[in-house]
Amino acid sequence: MSDQGTSAAHRCSLRFQYRERCARLSGLGSVSGAVSLNMVGWLIKRLVFLVAWAALLLAPMRLQAATLTTTQTLQAVISPLGGLFSFPNSVTLTKSGTTFSNYTGSLSIQYRARTTQSTGSGSITVKATADFTPTGGPSIATPPSTGDALQYTCSGPTLGTSCSGTQTVSTSAATNVVTLSASECTGGGGSCSSVSPNTVTLNFTLTDDPQYKTGSYSATLTFTISAT
Amino acid sequence: MKKVLTLTALILLLAASSALAQLGATTGTTTMSVAVVAEAGLTVNTSTTTLTETGANFSPYTGTTSLTYYIRTTPSTGGGNIQLEVTTDFAPTGGPSLGSPPTGTDALKYTCTVSSPGTACTGSQTSSKTAQTPVGTFGAGANSAFAGNSASVAWSLTNDPLYKVATYTATVTFTISAT
Repeated sequence: MSDQGTSAAHRCSLRFQYRERCARLSGLGSVSGAVSLNMVGWLIKRLVFLVAWAALLLAPMRLQAATLTTTQTLQAVISPLGGLFSFPNSVTLTKSGTTFSNYTGSLSIQYRARTTQSTGSGSITVKATADFTPTGGPSIATPPSTGDALQYTCSGPTLGTSCSGTQTVSTSAATNVVTLSASECTGGGGSCSSVSPNTVTLNFTLTDDPQYKTGSYSATLTFTISAT
Repeated sequence: MKKVLTLTALILLLAASSALAQLGATTGTTTMSVAVVAEAGLTVNTSTTTLTETGANFSPYTGTTSLTYYIRTTPSTGGGNIQLEVTTDFAPTGGPSLGSPPTGTDALKYTCTVSSPGTACTGSQTSSKTAQTPVGTFGAGANSAFAGNSASVAWSLTNDPLYKVATYTATVTFTISAT
């Protein structure tokens, strides 16, 4: 940096400022020999800072002046999937009809699914993963009488096809609740369902066999959704 | 810096959790429960029982009413029974009657047959139009078959010469109960 063009007053001012600065740093009032070199260094630093600042300010102008075209490929891999959402943790079967009429209860399942176009499929199934306990009452695997059964019908799936007729719950095999065909998807309307999540209701009936001992019995049902 | 990292990790975890919630699970379980209580039911298989005279003159009119019962009683403390009552006396008047028989000894009597787990009434019972009379009893923890169990009532109606010649009809109501 040159002092040319800089007024004496300015120089004095600079010197004075720097002297003040040195005085603060060193605690001495006279450091004139080192002052001029340090002052140059300080001015250089300050100039570099100003140049950098100016470059930053001018950068947008430079960008505005040029047009840069580039392309980028965005790829989303949409996979088939299915998910079960909230449904009751427990269902109580009750009866309000005549003596030894069936126990009944219903359960709604919320689900979302997407199947592969043309070739995909999917399903929701149910299986009794724990039979009624304690023993002496209803049983899916070893009922006290032939004809005893836990059965269900499916109604109103908002996506897919409802199970047909009356299904019998098993402890050894999953039974159908909803069948999803290719190109089915939850929500959004159009080729997908108009609602999200989707729902299906299962209406259960359990035989009331006089052979059942009085007591409270419970079983565990596991629902599974799959999609390809 | 550590605080920032911790906060960032927490946000990522929450985001991941939310994403899973949106996705749902591929399986879910629910517990199905049922309370089985004491219960009893009855089917009268013979809707109309015709009493006929088959023996010597003025021998009693007889006939049998068949029943199927269904019962479940509470173990240890429960029990049950089958009873009957003539809820409508013979009509028209001039013939047999429980309320005002032409002869004091005239009666509609019966004997019972009740298969296990029931126990039949003992001896000959005289039916009444004012009170229920026993057909059978059940102990604690009694369970009939899924298809029901059999019972029957064998009737015997006095053949009083004072009865006017006609066809008379009465209504008998059977009741089964269980605890």
